[in-house]
Amino acid sequence: MLAAQDLVLDYRSGTAIAHAVDTVSLRVERGSFIGLIGPSGSGKSSLMYLLSGLKRPTGGAVTFDGHDYRELSAARLIRLRRQHFGFVFQQHFLVNYLSAIENVTVGALRRNHDTAAYAQELLRRVGLGDKLQKRPYQLSIGERQRVAVARALVHRPAVVFADEPTASLDQATGHEVVSLLAEYRQAGGGSVVVVTHDPAMLTGADRVLQMRDGRLN
Amino acid sequence: MIDGACMTNPLSLWNFYFRNKRKVLPVVGILALAILGVVVTDSLLASARETAYATFGSYQKLILVAPRATRDQDLANPLQESLSRLRDVQLQVDSLDGPGGISSYYDAVVALPARLRGQLPSVQQVEVDAANARYYAARLRGDLVPLGDLIVRVQRLQSEEKSFTQLVQQLTERPNDPRPLITYLQQHQTWLQSVVPDSAQLGRLQSAVISASADANGLQASLQALSRDSANLNTSGQSLANLPVPPSPSGTIDQFKSALDRLTASLGSIEEPQPGLDKLLADSARIPGTAFVKRDAYSNLDINLLAGNAQFDLYGVDQPGMAQLLALYGDRVAAGRLPRPNANEIAVSEEIARSRHVWIGGQLGNNLDELDRLPDAFSVVGIIRGPTRIGVIPLDYMTQHYLFERRYQGLVVVPQSGHEQVVHDQLQKMIGSTAFRLFDWPYIKAKIDSLIQNLDAINRFLVILVTIVLSLVVGLLNNLFFRQRMNEFGLLAAVGYGRWALIRRVAWESLGVTVAAWGVGIGAAIAVLSWFNTSFMVPHGLVMNVFDWNVLLLHTLPIPLMVFLFGMSTVGWQLLRLDPISIIERRD
Repeated sequence: MLAAQDLVLDYRSGTAIAHAVDTVSLRVERGSFIGLIGPSGSGKSSLMYLLSGLKRPTGGAVTFDGHDYRELSAARLIRLRRQHFGFVFQQHFLVNYLSAIENVTVGALRRNHDTAAYAQELLRRVGLGDKLQKRPYQLSIGERQRVAVARALVHRPAVVFADEPTASLDQATGHEVVSLLAEYRQAGGGSVVVVTHDPAMLTGADRVLQMRDGRLN
Repeated sequence: MIDGACMTNPLSLWNFYFRNKRKVLPVVGILALAILGVVVTDSLLASARETAYATFGSYQKLILVAPRATRDQDLANPLQESLSRLRDVQLQVDSLDGPGGISSYYDAVVALPARLRGQLPSVQQVEVDAANARYYAARLRGDLVPLGDLIVRVQRLQSEEKSFTQLVQQLTERPNDPRPLITYLQQHQTWLQSVVPDSAQLGRLQSAVISASADANGLQASLQALSRDSANLNTSGQSLANLPVPPSPSGTIDQFKSALDRLTASLGSIEEPQPGLDKLLADSARIPGTAFVKRDAYSNLDINLLAGNAQFDLYGVDQPGMAQLLALYGDRVAAGRLPRPNANEIAVSEEIARSRHVWIGGQLGNNLDELDRLPDAFSVVGIIRGPTRIGVIPLDYMTQHYLFERRYQGLVVVPQSGHEQVVHDQLQKMIGSTAFRLFDWPYIKAKIDSLIQNLDAINRFLVILVTIVLSLVVGLLNNLFFRQRMNEFGLLAAVGYGRWALIRRVAWESLGVTVAAWGVGIGAAIAVLSWFNTSFMVPHGLVMNVFDWNVLLLHTLPIPLMVFLFGMSTVGWQLLRLDPISIIERRD
């Protein structure tokens, strides 16, 4: 479904070239849970940006359902991201002036009764059924991250990309967040790609790929 | 709602405004205040212009022919000049009546033998002429003594009036200090005793001048007849060898006549301040396209135009003229009546009455407001209502009651509709470079526009300054607010909102704020102006158009427009360069 072939991402600084991603090939099958681990600066986040279309690679190709990103215009790539991908970042990036339920529906493609019901259901599933109208500043950090997870799932994406989703959480809360993503995969929602430096968070992953110096081991 | 789940767009503008009201409202408030300020200053300026137009609106239907050299007239002192001439005449009349003068000549003619007088009928004529001349000379001598005395007393009164005015000013400035009053009384004790009774004699100066002028004219006529008849006598006497015809006192008469001419001219300037006006009146009435012409002993009232004080024109016309002017403008007497002949009464438009805080029974004039040119206290007897503001005072009172105050006379020339320019041109041609000049609507309007133009320039500068400062301030606030929302924009960009979609979103937000501020500002301005109009403008006779859409919409438009464009250009630039990854990777 999502495939990367010989991906390269270089950063140039004067004459020096840093290989953030160095010739990486990868396939993410439908319904799979892929874990990417590695130390800081190993290129795992960069690889996730390339796979999700947030960055264009210096070389190589990424295809999603047969669509080569290179052949897509910027607008179509943005549309693809919006329709088929969900994102969870290290920070929650909730909109301060919106309630929990509203923050979830920010990720929705359509705003109707079904979406509202589903958003509510998602929040209930992440344990925030009684905090639908709370604003981000009224929630704990873990709760905010769970709202962010619900936001990433509300439009039933084909792939959920989670970049260090547990980095700012304690161990237990981190596990809860990753479990939520794993549940989504198990319920047949879609694939999950989790980037983390903590292998303990990937106990439920189908595959755990390790990166070092921009390469997959 | 489904169990509290909202189905509306969480990123809707309403959500944004409502949830960020603490940030949005101050910006709306600042902009609205600025717009309110612009509307108020612009409206006041427009009001100043409209009030000035209304105040001088009577010129739209008439042309005022007024004396040009008012400064020269102010400086001229016909009393002093008359007194000097009068003394010359007194000397000349003494020599005319003395040895070698008309008395000697009369005696010599009477002494001619009866036989000769019978042969020369012209002797009879000369005898009558000489008797007349002696009679008028004696009358004139009798006139000149009290006239000279009156002129001196009037001069003393004028001088006293100045001292008294100075005393009043000093006492007004320092009401608790009696020293100026004591000094005045000490210095002027003698003066006061002699001068105060003179005030009762003032009205006699006019009749003394008229009497002296009449006697001087009689004497002139007698002397001319005497010259003519004595020449005839000399011619006929040459046929009689021994006729002892006395020598004519022609040299003395000539000297006297020229002195008398100067006195007559000088007295004439007291009697008739605008020589040539009668002829101009008659000639103006004959200009084709003229509806009517009236003699106008005009005066002025000081009124507030908001942009400064101005002199409101009062037309000093006769009773038919007052009715004609009212009919001309479609005005009517709403309360009271028109002034009576030869009375110090005035009827004015209600706006002017309000402006001066008077109504029927009130008083106006220089005695009450030193900026009024109306030379006395005039009682308000009529309130005029109608489309054009006018004020009328009686011609006869203005022309016959005053000797020293300004009492210039001019003409009111009313052209028929559509003939304004033709009549103006003809009048201009007629007066040429004489002591008169024309005041018509184009001239008055140009003067008003010129005055307002300066204020307009200052106002425009201030509006530009306010717009620039506001653009910078609100643009800065916009940027600060935008930076606080970077996470929001970064997330939206990451999850699939395009840059232009984000720019559109921010543009709608900014547009909403500026349009709301614009609406609030204009609404507040209308409320403030309505209140100000009711509580201040109307009671003071000032004109204000609260719903001047030109001011409300067009003049205020640059503020929201500039603020929007400036705010959007800076934020838009940042959004165009937005890199969601840099925001996602931020660890702050």
